[in-house]
Amino acid sequence: MFDPSMVPTPDPNPLPAPFWVFKLLLVVTFALHILAMNFMLGGALLALLARWRQKGNQYGARIFRDVAKKVPVMMAATISIGIAPLLFVQVLYGQFFYTSSILLAWPWFLVLVLVVCAYYGFYFVSYQGERRPRSAGRVMLFSTTLVLIIGFIYTNNLTLSQVPAHWAQKYFSSASGWGLNLSEPTLVPRYLHFMTAAVAVGGLYLVLIAWTKWKQDQEYARAIFQLGGKAFLYATMSQFLIGFWFLFSIPRALRGIFLGADPLATTLLGFALVAALVSIFMMSAALRKDNIRLAALGVTSITALDVLIMSVMRELLRMAYLKPYYNPQQFAVQTQWSPFLIFLVLFVSGAAFWFLMLKRYGLFGGTKSAQP
Amino acid sequence: MNYPVWDLAFGAGLLMALVAGLHVFVSHFAVGGGLFLVLTERRARRNNDSKLLAWLKFHTRFFVLLTVVFGAVSGVGIWFTIGLISPTATSNLIHIYVWGWAIEWVFFFIEITAALLYLYGWDKLEPKVHEWFGWVYFVAAFASMVVINGIITFMLTPGQWIANHYFWSGFFNPTYAPSLFFRISISLALAGIYSLITASVQKDAELKARIVRWGALWTVPSLLLLPVFACWYIRAIPPVLWLSTRGAMPTGTHFALLACLLLGGTFLLVLISLVRPSRLHLTLSLLLAVVAFGAMDSFEFVRESIRKPFVIENYLYANSLYFTAMPGDGGFTVDNLNSAGVLQTARWVQNHDLSPANQIAAGHEIFRVECESCHTADGYRGIHQYIVKRQWDQDKLHAMLGCIFLMHNNVMPPFAGTDAELNALSAYLGSLQPMNPPPDLHPDGKTVYQQNCSMCHLQQPDDHLFTNMPKDPQKAVAALASLPAMFPLMPDLKLSEDERRALVQWVYTQNSAPAAQGGN
Repeated sequence: MFDPSMVPTPDPNPLPAPFWVFKLLLVVTFALHILAMNFMLGGALLALLARWRQKGNQYGARIFRDVAKKVPVMMAATISIGIAPLLFVQVLYGQFFYTSSILLAWPWFLVLVLVVCAYYGFYFVSYQGERRPRSAGRVMLFSTTLVLIIGFIYTNNLTLSQVPAHWAQKYFSSASGWGLNLSEPTLVPRYLHFMTAAVAVGGLYLVLIAWTKWKQDQEYARAIFQLGGKAFLYATMSQFLIGFWFLFSIPRALRGIFLGADPLATTLLGFALVAALVSIFMMSAALRKDNIRLAALGVTSITALDVLIMSVMRELLRMAYLKPYYNPQQFAVQTQWSPFLIFLVLFVSGAAFWFLMLKRYGLFGGTKSAQP
Repeated sequence: MNYPVWDLAFGAGLLMALVAGLHVFVSHFAVGGGLFLVLTERRARRNNDSKLLAWLKFHTRFFVLLTVVFGAVSGVGIWFTIGLISPTATSNLIHIYVWGWAIEWVFFFIEITAALLYLYGWDKLEPKVHEWFGWVYFVAAFASMVVINGIITFMLTPGQWIANHYFWSGFFNPTYAPSLFFRISISLALAGIYSLITASVQKDAELKARIVRWGALWTVPSLLLLPVFACWYIRAIPPVLWLSTRGAMPTGTHFALLACLLLGGTFLLVLISLVRPSRLHLTLSLLLAVVAFGAMDSFEFVRESIRKPFVIENYLYANSLYFTAMPGDGGFTVDNLNSAGVLQTARWVQNHDLSPANQIAAGHEIFRVECESCHTADGYRGIHQYIVKRQWDQDKLHAMLGCIFLMHNNVMPPFAGTDAELNALSAYLGSLQPMNPPPDLHPDGKTVYQQNCSMCHLQQPDDHLFTNMPKDPQKAVAALASLPAMFPLMPDLKLSEDERRALVQWVYTQNSAPAAQGGN
C-alpha cells in the first residue's frame, strides 16, 4: 500500500514570484525546447532517410550533407533552451522530479554521457561528411540512436515523476538507481507520440531549409520540400493513431479531463486535433501545388501553435496526475522583485540582442559577407 | 531522508567530484579563452599575421568543440548530479536563486550563440564584425561567471542571508569579490595553457614559438596573481573553517598542500615550455594541462572540504538536515530527530520501528539516510577501512559516533536520532568487520593515540591532549579512565589500564621531545 507521506516536502524557501509566472515560463520554454529538439532529431532522422533512399534519387547524398551540417547547431539550441524548463520544473515540481530522477539515477546520469557522444558524433558528420561519406552515415546513425535512447530515458523519468504510488516498490526492491518505469502503460505511446512529432516537425525544418534555397536552386529545393513535406504529412497522420493510443493508455479517471471533465483541457484537445487536421490538408495542398510559402509559413505557424497547445495539455495532465499529492497553494510566495525584474529586462533585451546577432551574421539576407 | 538515496557503491561524492572537476576546468577556459581569442585575433590582424590567424581559426574550432559541447553539457551535468546526490540542497539553491539561474541562462544562451557564430563566421564575416562576435561571446561568458560565482560562494559564506534571507545579501557575500578575482586569474591562466595544446601540434617552428610566448604572457602573470587573490580569499573565510586545511581535517589539509604543489608545478612547466618554445611537444603541453587540472581540482576540493559539515554553511548539513528548525523544514533537524527519531521521521526507510531482530537492517537504513551523502561502506570515504585501521568494535563505535561532530575540526554533522538508533547504527557498522582484538598486554602508546584520540587531538604541542595531561603519571592514568568526567562531550572509551598507561607514557615522550618544547 502506498503511503502518500513518502512524497518529499519542498524546502522551506518561498517561491520568489507568483506560481503562475513559473508555470508560464515552464510551458513556453518547454515548447521552444521541444521545437528545437524536433528540428535536431527529426532533421537527423530525415537526413538518414534521404541517404538511404539515394538510389534513384540524385539529391539524397546532398540533402544528407546539407541537413547534417545544421544538426549540431540544433543540438546546441536544444540543450541551451532546455536548461530553462529544467530549471522551472525544479522550481514547481522538485519533490517529484528529484525523486523519480534518483529512482532511475543511472540512466538519468548516463543521459549526460550519451548527449556528449551524440553531440560529438553530429559534429564529426558536419565536418567530415564530405571527406568520409561512408563513416559519416554510420556515425549519424549512431548519434541519432543515442538521441532516441535519451528521449526514452526522459519519458521514463517524467512519467515516473507523476506516479508517486509506484515509487516505494521500486526503491525498496533496489536503490541502485535502475528503476526504469517500464511497467507504465503510457510509456510507449507517450514516447512514440513525441518521437513521431519529431519526424513531423523535422519535416517542417526541411521545408524551411528548402524555402531558403528556393530562389537559388529550385529543383534541389523542391526535392527537400517533397521529402520534408511528406514526412510531416505521414507523421502527423499517424499521430491520429498514436495520439489516441496515448490518450486511451492514460488511466480513465485522468483521461477524463480531455473528454469533458475539464472544459479547458477538452477544448484544447479539440483545438489541437483541428489544428493537426488543418495542417495536414494545408501541407497536402502545398505539396500538390508546389506552394512552398504555404508550407513554410502556414503549416509552420499552425504547428508551432499546436506544439504550444499540447505543452499546455501536457501540463494539465501532469496536474491531474499529481492532484492527490500536490497543491499549488502549498507554496508561500515572496517575490524577489529586483532579481525578477533584472531577469525580465535581460530576457527581453537578450532576445532582441539575439536577433540582432543573427542579423549581423547575415542570416536574414544581410550583406556582411567578406567574400561573397 | 526526505528523498530517496541513490545507493552508489563507489561513492556519490566521487561522481560529483568527477563531473564538477571536469566542468570547472573547461568552463574557466570558456571565459578566459574567449578574451584570448578576440585579443589574439586583433593582434594578428593588426600585424597582418596570416599564419597566426590560420592557427587561431584552428584554435577556435578546438575551443568551441570543447566548451560548447563538453563544457555546456557537463555544466548541465552538475545540475543533474547534485539533484541525484543532494536533492535537498539543490531544491534550496533553486528556490533561493531561481532568478540568478534564470539570469545566467540568458547570458549562457547568448554565449553559445556567439561562440557558434564566431566559429562559423571565420570565413564569412568582415574582420570587424567577426571580432564583434568575439567580444559578445566574452562579455556573455564573463557575465555568466559573475552570476554563478555569487551562488557558489554563497554556499561557503552565506553572510547576512542567514539572518535576513535576502537575495542580494547571500549573493554579494563575504567571499564573492575575492573568489571572482581568483577565478578570473584562473580563467586567464587557462587561456594560455590551452593555447599551448593547439600550438604544440603546429609544424611551423617559428609560429609555434610565437604562440608559446604569447600564451605564457597570459599564464605567467595570472599564476603570479593567484596567490595574492588566494590570500584575500582566505582572509574572507572564517578562520575556524580554514583550520581544516591546517591539519585538523585530513582531506582539507591534503588537498590544500596538493593545490600549492601543483600550482607550483604548473608554473614550473610553463617556464620549461619557454626554454625552447619552438620545440614544444604535445606531451609537455598535455602534461601541463593535467597538472593545472590537478591544481584547480584540489582548490575546489579544499573549498568543499572546509564547508563541511555543511553544504550551505550554517543552514544545511551535508546530509540534508537543517541547522536550525524553521517552518517548512519537514522536521529534518538534528533536534527533532533526537527526540522523534530518525526512523520515524525519515520518509524513505522500511524499518520505522526498532526491534532486536532488525538492528542491523535498521542500522543500515540509518547509515544510508544519514551518512551516504559523503561516505560509503567500502568505496569512497569507506567506513569499513576506518574501522579496520582503528580497530573499533561495536562499543567503541557507539562511543565515537556519539561525539562524531567534534572530529577533524567539527567537519561532520552530529549523529541525529535516539540512543536506540545510535545502537542500531553501531550494530550495522560493527557488522562490517567484527573486531575481536586479542587482549594486548603491551599496547603501544602511539597506536592507542592514533586509534582513539587522533580524530580530535592533533599531534601538536599546543593540543589539549599534551598541554592538559597531569604531570603525575598515576593521576593521568586515573583521569583517562573516565573521559566524560574531564569534558562532558568526550566519548566514554573505556580504555584498559595498560592502554592508558602506554598513552600517558607516549604523551610524556612527545612533550619532552625537542620539537614539542613550545607546549610546556
